[in-house]
Amino acid sequence: MGRESHKMKALSLLRSRICDPKFIFKPLHDSPDSNYSKLKFMMSSSITEACNNSILLLGPRGSGKSAVLELVVGDLLVEYPDMISVIKLSGLLHSDDNCALKEVARQLCLEHQLQFSKAASFDDNSQFMVAMLKECGLAHKTIVFILDEFDLFAQGKQRLLYSLLDAMQSITSQAVVIGISCRMDADQLLEKRVRSRFSHRKLLFLPPSMEDSKSILEHVMSLPVDSSLPHDYAVEFNRKVQDILADRRFKETFNKYLNFDSSVKHLLRFLFCAVSCMDLQTGFLTCENFETAFSSIMRQPKLECLKNCSILELYILVCMKRLEVKEQTLCNFNSIMKEYKNVHDSFRTSDYYARNVCLKAFEHLINRELICFTDNRGHSSSVEFRPAKLLISSSELHQGLKAYHSCPAILHKLMDREG
Amino acid sequence: MPTIAKRKVAKEALSETTAILPEKTASDVRSDPNSTPCKRKLRSDGPLIMDSPFSSPTKWKSPRQCSSESPNRAVTAKETVANEGEIKSHKSPFKSTQDSFADKPKWNPKDGEQVRTVKEALHVSTAPSTIVCREDEQNMVFEFCKSCVEHNKAGSMYICGCPGTGKSLSMEKVKKLLVDWAKQAGLLQPDVLSVNCTSLANTSDIFSKMLGLNQTQGKKTSASPLQQLQSLYSQKSSSLNMILMVVDELDYLITKDRAVLHDLFTLTTFPFSRCILIGISNAIDLADRFLPRLKSLNCKPIIVTFRAYSKDQILSILKERLRELPYTVFQHQALELCARKVAAASGDMRKALCICRSAIEMLEAEIRESIGLSEISLEEKASPRQNLASDPDHVKQEEFDTVRIDHVALALSKTYRSPVVDTIQSLPHHQQIILCSSMKQFRGAKKDTILGELYRSYTGICKSSMIPPAGILEFSNMCRVLNDQGLIKLGPSREDKLKRVTLNIDETDITFALQGIRFFRNCLQ
Repeated sequence: MGRESHKMKALSLLRSRICDPKFIFKPLHDSPDSNYSKLKFMMSSSITEACNNSILLLGPRGSGKSAVLELVVGDLLVEYPDMISVIKLSGLLHSDDNCALKEVARQLCLEHQLQFSKAASFDDNSQFMVAMLKECGLAHKTIVFILDEFDLFAQGKQRLLYSLLDAMQSITSQAVVIGISCRMDADQLLEKRVRSRFSHRKLLFLPPSMEDSKSILEHVMSLPVDSSLPHDYAVEFNRKVQDILADRRFKETFNKYLNFDSSVKHLLRFLFCAVSCMDLQTGFLTCENFETAFSSIMRQPKLECLKNCSILELYILVCMKRLEVKEQTLCNFNSIMKEYKNVHDSFRTSDYYARNVCLKAFEHLINRELICFTDNRGHSSSVEFRPAKLLISSSELHQGLKAYHSCPAILHKLMDREG
Repeated sequence: MPTIAKRKVAKEALSETTAILPEKTASDVRSDPNSTPCKRKLRSDGPLIMDSPFSSPTKWKSPRQCSSESPNRAVTAKETVANEGEIKSHKSPFKSTQDSFADKPKWNPKDGEQVRTVKEALHVSTAPSTIVCREDEQNMVFEFCKSCVEHNKAGSMYICGCPGTGKSLSMEKVKKLLVDWAKQAGLLQPDVLSVNCTSLANTSDIFSKMLGLNQTQGKKTSASPLQQLQSLYSQKSSSLNMILMVVDELDYLITKDRAVLHDLFTLTTFPFSRCILIGISNAIDLADRFLPRLKSLNCKPIIVTFRAYSKDQILSILKERLRELPYTVFQHQALELCARKVAAASGDMRKALCICRSAIEMLEAEIRESIGLSEISLEEKASPRQNLASDPDHVKQEEFDTVRIDHVALALSKTYRSPVVDTIQSLPHHQQIILCSSMKQFRGAKKDTILGELYRSYTGICKSSMIPPAGILEFSNMCRVLNDQGLIKLGPSREDKLKRVTLNIDETDITFALQGIRFFRNCLQ
């Protein structure tokens, strides 16, 4: 048991690293060109120079905008302990102006230990906010407004945005407004007077390039050599990781995976899956772990469904496909049976089952949602007369048949007939 | 080098000395707004300034006689102390200004205090002491208000202009001028009420705000605030003074039946009305579109248009802000480039100020980078002590003095360039293929398609280039990601395959972004 425990420890260390955004974005701290340093410089200069600023963080979902912002805010709260208060709003929850102002007032009250009254009106709340801004400006305290889902605040009359950005135009207030959005054209959504007051600083969070992704992987997967883990084990582990990275198969899988979505979140999901597949007997990662992770993430549920179908059900699906290709508009159980009989007659197959067995198979397919009825209202007619359609595309059917372990050749021929 | 703190002290010193001056000069200026305020004051204050306890910095050359017609030399006496030599040497921007820049020493961008001062001078929230390039408009408004107050008549005025053209700023100035003038002229001082219509929960709250100022009756009547005002203005009462109402963002008062806007403006037509109404908005034709009835009532508001700033105006405003600093911060061409680009784009002064501050930050970033590099090189050298002594000198010799034209160019491109091209270039491969296939679909007259069709086109491209296509689930995931980023637009539908797809960006952007990759060039043929 003592020998197993360090492997478990390594596994839990790797998993905790992947789930910790601070660790992932740490290597970016050092380069002065990174978004982290730019954001930190902008915010700290606004705080020290007491001038108002507004910044927009743009990037696809999962590219680390909120994570980097949390890091920066955390660092600033440590550096300037009493000079910042943070107000967080979300476009999903607070897109209505009344609601948003109430939330701002509530958070301000919370920060400064004042009494908050739920019955305060819109007017009261906005006057309170302006007064607080003035007070904090006099006390040299900066208020940081973080607006998540910024593009949702830009719907409607944009009153909240206008009042926030307008308050920053006066010399008495000291505030920084940071908007986070995944829409690249978020600032085009603003009205022209709001856009005029916005200071147009944008930080773009682009997904990392292939090399950067590899370096993130290396950074996460390398075990620390001088920790509580046994030295030899850690060194061996790291060597194995380097071998994997140089492996051609791994590179192919990795590239294939990142060709669909190269955001950091996607990459971390892949790593987590792979690390969880690690064999605890050996305690080392292998290339197979990554391939398992790849196939488990890139699932195609309909193909898996097809794998579990019986041969009769496959026949029914192929018949429906043929009907579609022949452009027969009516496709219900009866017409499928007719087609099935045709196929049997022309090819003399051995699989010819009775009608009630086929009906059972048909209902199975309905349950599994590989086909569905097209008439959603009026279940007046019986199952055999209701029109049905395929929910699986022809290419998927093709693929499924190819992957089927004992698919009769006749089905392939029938599918290929249509091309 | 004088810093802000010292300048403030000097301000006080001079204000005491100006008190000794006869009242005439101050009121002279204020009651004669035809001339640019304080323009002529400088010469009369000349001898006074020489006595100031503050001596001018030693590096300045001898002051030159300046022409008195320069419109942007208008500055109050308070600001002149530390800049005494430099004011006289400042020429109008319409003439060549290379000389005036040569007069002032260059700033040291490594000095945090100076950087802070400059940034504060260029910040949007710092109201300049005088507002240049808006004298005509200010005069018009001021004359109008003056005549209303003098004749005890009500009136209305509508100010329109693009954002960032100095409307609210000028109104602040006019308010102050009016109150001071009324005090000077011994008339009843008008009350001033500023309302920003975005802060009103209900459009009719504006009337209660007006009443709030007019706190005459203590008794509660059952009539609405509007009716109270209307009854108030229908009776003669000599005790009321005029109200100057400045209503900002007037278009927020527009309701479906336009009642509030109409009622507000018709309040000025009542026989004993006491309010001078000034509405500010962005729409040029607001008065024509929404207040047609006023013309028949003969009370159409006077319209003052604040046109967008031209390049020269922007340049002169920027120079005015920078003039108060005792050192040159920008190269002349840099400021000109900024002014030209902003004037061509929107004529918005806030943008110009933002870009200048951005350019300063570029310079700061450059300095930080060079410091970082020089530190690295110093460490790497591991040279004996004598070399180390000379190396810092070498670092200092790098001229980081003024903000150059390339800094401004970088700031301009950051502000005006949309991130679309960068985004497309950094998209993963398959998402780029999706964009290409949508472009191919929309080549003809068709401008939208459904997801199923797009999938077919996408698989076609993939198959022709031997790339395994993604399944339909992964494909719709990728389309959703592209929709979130605003590159394509997905319509709602119960079924995934039937969602409508439209391109949200320009096709030329896609072509430009992907032109470097041969695969896409062939694909888009």
